[in-house]
Amino acid sequence: MVQLLTPEGKFAPSASAEEFLPYFEKLTDADFRKFYTDMVTVRRYDTEATNLQRQGQLALWVPSHGQEGAQVGSAYATKDQDHIFPAYREHAIAHIRGVDLIELIRQFKGITHGGWNPFDPKHKNFHIYTLVIGSHALHSTGYAMGITLDGKTNTGTPDTDEAVIVYFGDGATSQGDVSEAFVFAASYQTPQVFFVQNNHWAISVPVSVQARVPLYLRGTGFGIPGTQIDGNDVFASYAVTAKHLEDARSGKGPSLIEAHTYRIGAHTSSDDPTKYRTDEELQGWIKKDPIARLETYLRESGADEKFFTSVHEQAADFAADIRRRAVELTAPGPESIFRSVYSEPHPVMEEQQAWLAAYDASFEEEA
Amino acid sequence: MTAAKFYLPDVGEGLTEAEIVSWKVKPGDAVDVNQVLVEIETAKSLVELPSPYAGTVGELLVAEGETVEVGTAIVTIESEGSSQLTAPTPTLAQAAMANEVFVTDASEVDGAKDANEEKSGSVLVGYGTGGHGATRRRRPSAAGNASPAPVPPAATEAPKRPVLPIVETLGVIAKPPIRKLAKDLDVDLSKVEPTGIAGEVTRDDVVRHAQQASVFRNIATPEWSADREERIPVKGVRKAIATAMVQSAFSAPHVSVFVDVDATRTMEFVKRLKDSTDFAGVKVSPLLILAKAIIWAVRRNPTVNSTWTDKEIIVHHYVNLGIAAATPRGLIVPNVKEAQSMSLLELARGLEQLTLNARDGKTSPADMADGTITVTNIGVFGMDTGTPILNPGEVGIVALGTIKQKPWVFEGEVRPRFVTTLGASFDHRVVDGDVASRFLADVASIVEEPALLLD
Amino acid sequence: MSVQNLPLGKAINLGLREAMLADPTVVLMGEDIGTLGGVFRVTEGLKTEFGAHRVMDTPLAESGIVGTAIGLAMRGYRPVVEIQFDGFIFPAFDQITTQLAKLTFRHEGALSMPVVIRVPYGGHIGAVEHHQESPEAYFAHTAGLRLVSPSNPHDAYWMIQEAIASKDPVMFFEPKSRYWPKGDVDTSTSGFPLHASRVVREGTDVTIVGHGAMVSMILQAADIAASEGTSVEVIDLRSLSPIDYAPILTSAAKTGRLVVAQEAPGFVSLGSEIAATVHEKSFYLLEAPVLRVSGFDTPFPPAKQEAIYLPDADRILDAVDRAMKY
Repeated sequence: MVQLLTPEGKFAPSASAEEFLPYFEKLTDADFRKFYTDMVTVRRYDTEATNLQRQGQLALWVPSHGQEGAQVGSAYATKDQDHIFPAYREHAIAHIRGVDLIELIRQFKGITHGGWNPFDPKHKNFHIYTLVIGSHALHSTGYAMGITLDGKTNTGTPDTDEAVIVYFGDGATSQGDVSEAFVFAASYQTPQVFFVQNNHWAISVPVSVQARVPLYLRGTGFGIPGTQIDGNDVFASYAVTAKHLEDARSGKGPSLIEAHTYRIGAHTSSDDPTKYRTDEELQGWIKKDPIARLETYLRESGADEKFFTSVHEQAADFAADIRRRAVELTAPGPESIFRSVYSEPHPVMEEQQAWLAAYDASFEEEA
Repeated sequence: MTAAKFYLPDVGEGLTEAEIVSWKVKPGDAVDVNQVLVEIETAKSLVELPSPYAGTVGELLVAEGETVEVGTAIVTIESEGSSQLTAPTPTLAQAAMANEVFVTDASEVDGAKDANEEKSGSVLVGYGTGGHGATRRRRPSAAGNASPAPVPPAATEAPKRPVLPIVETLGVIAKPPIRKLAKDLDVDLSKVEPTGIAGEVTRDDVVRHAQQASVFRNIATPEWSADREERIPVKGVRKAIATAMVQSAFSAPHVSVFVDVDATRTMEFVKRLKDSTDFAGVKVSPLLILAKAIIWAVRRNPTVNSTWTDKEIIVHHYVNLGIAAATPRGLIVPNVKEAQSMSLLELARGLEQLTLNARDGKTSPADMADGTITVTNIGVFGMDTGTPILNPGEVGIVALGTIKQKPWVFEGEVRPRFVTTLGASFDHRVVDGDVASRFLADVASIVEEPALLLD
Repeated sequence: MSVQNLPLGKAINLGLREAMLADPTVVLMGEDIGTLGGVFRVTEGLKTEFGAHRVMDTPLAESGIVGTAIGLAMRGYRPVVEIQFDGFIFPAFDQITTQLAKLTFRHEGALSMPVVIRVPYGGHIGAVEHHQESPEAYFAHTAGLRLVSPSNPHDAYWMIQEAIASKDPVMFFEPKSRYWPKGDVDTSTSGFPLHASRVVREGTDVTIVGHGAMVSMILQAADIAASEGTSVEVIDLRSLSPIDYAPILTSAAKTGRLVVAQEAPGFVSLGSEIAATVHEKSFYLLEAPVLRVSGFDTPFPPAKQEAIYLPDADRILDAVDRAMKY
């Protein structure tokens, strides 16, 4: 397992980290502070969203608490031109790629099934969430096949050469679509990275039920090499993803990263983890928190209290702003149900929308 | 300072209620946004609820240990500035379920929550009683409420219900059952005057038309004639009718009796006869059944089938059944000879032939002679009943009126049934009231139950 | 006016070729479609002409084929995917119904899914299990998809091009029992929009509606009926979703009697939908209820029994007789 930053906040690269160090060495202190700021902000946002759900504002919330290290590190390794296919828990990556985090709230408040246009440049190719487990792995592979057909990768210009990174969890690796994505990726040598966030639980089913062999080896049989990292180590996440993406965009084909991390919270707000895992295990992972170790590292490399206070204050403001906007969100009217079912005009959409409008108009005004 | 309420949310995708396990604050406590207020237990798990407001705890509205529904206000918080969060609106399913009492035995309903004031009565196990709290959106009270959808283009007012487009009609509008009825009753739909609200032909329209088998219908109302008077010479058929009528009316003391009868089974029987291959090509109508009924009733009440002479009453043991037929020149009464020995099919043919001949003006004097009893169909003219005048030489005449659907008590309930009034006139020199009544009652009993003919 | 006499399979081949010539973003994907030219030779010659990068032999994975096609569509391509046989579409059912059909909706209109899925379907070829299915109803039931089915070579030539040009996902059901019989193809003009239904034979007593291979069966039945004195009007549905009801309703108003014939099992089928809609919209004008002639509600039987299962001219005429009795 590749590790650069220990849970105690010490920079101590493992032997397996050797080949990735050059990528880490490109980072500056400013980068580390950005990592920290983003992790704290998103965690604070995540807490706020959890509370909003408990207050009846959101139908559901999917917490990312605990997985910030894996997400922030890998996100910073991507280039603007890369396409990112998330599952449904990658809120930190959404934030880093420019998606206004209120959009995720819209989805979980029940206002939209999507929330943003991935093809709007401001969202830097961060695709919308896919709730059918593993389905998007195939979409990412198809997309990557398109990049190859377009000749937009492996041209020797890494600043513009494109790659794809797709995120899913340990549970998803059991889905047929993920295996089929591996088959197509290997067969067509797609420029992509499969990033597995092994947070050890698929709702209440432990990863041992999904895999008898460590997940970084899952792609081997398909011809897809893999690297295992300490997913709570943002440095490792950055460095390893950077190298894998470089391989992808320079014609070396698909690869896989398994990030060992932990789902500190529940699967979703409807779940109760106390029913299937021990507090001992939870506490053990809390000790390996990605933010805590980075904070320790930053303090020891000279960051002062003002920095941390400012980060937390800004995070609190960010969360409060999300709260304010979340409460004000309203659902769109009935026309939106019919509007985007098809890209071209459709007689049944027109007919049913007209019917509903006439039906609604036939009632007395509600007092 | 506003006292905002915190309503119990659905924390688990479709939960309907939760128990308050323990309050973490008390009235008067200062609280921040997101500070934990209370721990609740749902069907799925133990959950802490954070405060949506900053301020001072006002009142704890639900006690520990109590279970309340999603949407119930559980605590008030006096806050400055924060606006009241709207109560979570439960989904329709949640609302319905919250109002239902799921019982294993309908009798348990009586002891159920006092929220359930209305009970729908005995229900299948597991389906709950529902009732309370379920309402429907109200429509403006204009007529649009009742209009069925879709309304064909002929409707005069804009339908309140949304109307799915209907193909422009190329002909008669009639529902399938009415089309079938028209076919059964031998009615050409395109000739029927439709009276339905949407311009469709109704069942009544068809039935009424069926009885108007006569060719002679006034269709147009003519203008008043320019002449003051028209003089029609009394001769020919008109003279003969007049003579006959005077002879009957002023020699025989007429008495009439009437009875209403449920003719539904006769109508059904007629329908079945029409469908049968034996009667293909032969006109079958309720009149045929009535004819049979008269013949049968004559067997039981022979004196109505007789002739008065001053010296003796000649009771005929055969039936030459006269049928009053309207012709362009007036009313004539040809008769079917030996009707008592005819099968239903033969009688049908016989009657049909007589009618056709009459219409064509080909009735022979022999056809018109020696009748023993007569039936007249004024139902074709839309009349309910009438007081017919005896055919000279006869002592009984039966009038068949319109057959139409009316409310009738059938097997203890008011139902629409095909009802008609049978009228009959008799010569009181021969037929007294009791015989008259028994005869007509017998006729009526057949009309009500044709199967009695199997006697 | 340029008319060629072609088998339906070849007409689709030429239509694909036209589409690929006109638009470089059109790519074909499927099992055995490249080097072999497809198990029915519908894509014959196209790999040679356009190259392996535009005519891709995919791994044996239907879900993978549709899923990667979706990704390619996101990238701006117009993938035309072949599912080798009707009975093998089900591994792709999730990608088709939860993804392909819904991605435009999920993106609130920001993304189109111009993907065509070609599916050889139907019986009458004496094949083994899973090779003679009629699964149209599963997909017609899913909002977000369009479904069409050509019954003749001329329609096949034009409809495949129009399907490819559509911005929406289109499932193109090819009646495989009609691949080899020939028909005239006018390559200068289509004559009908993609989603239009069409009266292919005029009549006055009863209307029969069908699609795909059933249309030629219905026309045979109509000829027999004519010789018996019953005048049958025949409508080719062409588009299964959306259904163009206008000609059907006009015909129902004219004849007052409608029969729908299909190979698919009757329970919860396109025939059921058409019957319900015609009843609702033409209630006052019908002389008889709409009758359905369908496959039985059993799995498609072994080939030796397909003649028992599949509606033939006799079964269609039986429905005509029943309709005429009302």
